[in-house]
Amino acid sequence: MFEKLYKKYRYSLILLRELVITDFKLRYQGSVLGYLWALLRPMFLFAIMYIFFVEVLHIGKEIPHWGVALLLGIVMWNFFTEVVGQGLKSIVNSGGIIRKINFPKYIIVISTSLSAFINLAINLGVVAIFGAIDGVEPSWGMLLIPVFVVELYIFGLGMAFFLSAVNVKFRDVGYIWEVVSQALFYGSAIMFPLDRVVSMSHDIAVFLAMNPVAQAIQDARYFGITNNLATAHTLTSNIWALLAPFVITLVMFVVGALYFRKRSPYFAEDI
Amino acid sequence: MSNYAVEVHNVKKSFYLPHHKNNSLKTAITQVFKKKDKGGNTFNALNGVSFNVEKGDFFGILGRNGSGKSTLLKIISEIYQPTSGTVKHEGKVVSFIELGVGFKTELSGRENVYLNGALLGFSKKEVEAMYDDIVEFAELEKFMDQKLKNYSSGMKVRLAFSVAIRAKADILILDEVLAVGDASFKRKCNEYFKTLKHDKKTVILVTHSMSDVREYCNKAIVIEKGKVQFEGGADEAAEEYLKLFEKK
Repeated sequence: MFEKLYKKYRYSLILLRELVITDFKLRYQGSVLGYLWALLRPMFLFAIMYIFFVEVLHIGKEIPHWGVALLLGIVMWNFFTEVVGQGLKSIVNSGGIIRKINFPKYIIVISTSLSAFINLAINLGVVAIFGAIDGVEPSWGMLLIPVFVVELYIFGLGMAFFLSAVNVKFRDVGYIWEVVSQALFYGSAIMFPLDRVVSMSHDIAVFLAMNPVAQAIQDARYFGITNNLATAHTLTSNIWALLAPFVITLVMFVVGALYFRKRSPYFAEDI
Repeated sequence: MSNYAVEVHNVKKSFYLPHHKNNSLKTAITQVFKKKDKGGNTFNALNGVSFNVEKGDFFGILGRNGSGKSTLLKIISEIYQPTSGTVKHEGKVVSFIELGVGFKTELSGRENVYLNGALLGFSKKEVEAMYDDIVEFAELEKFMDQKLKNYSSGMKVRLAFSVAIRAKADILILDEVLAVGDASFKRKCNEYFKTLKHDKKTVILVTHSMSDVREYCNKAIVIEKGKVQFEGGADEAAEEYLKLFEKK
């Protein structure tokens, strides 16, 4: 059975591998330090944010290791926006090749999303360094972080499938996503602890925690770094509210993948 | 199992041509409200094309510019979907609508060989095994570590062609890939065609070169205004094709 599966997806796998490698090579093309930037860039950016938000603005000072939690949130958010943002452009950007060769189009979307994974792995490594410096205790809960990353990935990939297919016909998608992603960014309580929203309105906090991005990031912070943070299950015991992010993730993925599959035979003539 | 490698049955293809390119939500939404005025017309590129290609045929498709040849090839290659009608294949189809599709100018010749190989379904190991032959055939030994943007167009075509001829296919579709290149390139193409013919590969060739048609094809069709105007032997088809230009 495995052999049959392998045969069916052999071409896709070969192509996927080569596209991811190409993407990574092209990204740092022409820079002196090359791949080293993949590591240096997040390190410098994090250092700036850490100093500004924690040392200067004192946001979340009452919460231990808030600086590290902040970085983890930003890294996960960047991963999510890279999967969606790059994914939604990917089909249109590959128009030249789609018009000339017949191959499974989903490979393009998945390959950009895997490139985002490479960045995420590097960034998480940098967060780990900051965590060690800040004295975050290693815990079993940290093992849950990859689970929430995968949840975020499935949600983001579903959106990327859907939006990349819509983008072929309506180029407005990029602009709409830019606006929506800003709303989602602040609505997911990434730059501030969710507790700040709780002190304003408990219901709004629960509502925010129902979106998969907020829930995945807050839970990763809660289980991985410090449980002095509010997250979905500390705010409500309503099973529907707690299940909502997972249901939304699954629905988004299925709808996105099905729509993509339905539209992909027409990409070549619509682009 | 039929004896046909490709069966094209009553294929029609029309494209909707809007007067203004409708690429934004605003125009789409406003159009919902004024359905009558669609502001465009349909262009019928293919009006019911049928023909069969037998296994081992070297099949020519001839026609003037704009007659629908390329649309037909793209439908056979499953790049476009037919508006109606069916296309059936038996075996693996590899098509070259253009040489060097997917080449990245910022990457070296070597890296592009691997990328192009992957598009043809070759794993890294498989490309490695034939890499030296590819480079030798392209006569680009000294340039493989140069970025592709520094290649001349002739060098690019040579590299693309050297990778392309490695393709393992039951049915090969070639669209005027040979319209470029100098005499030595042309000679290599001819040798490649001869091997294809010798190996009894199924080939569909679109070309404007009647000498190629006469030399390699055993059958051919002439397409005019989206319809098959003539179907038969290569020599007769070539005559028919040339007649198209005499009328005017």
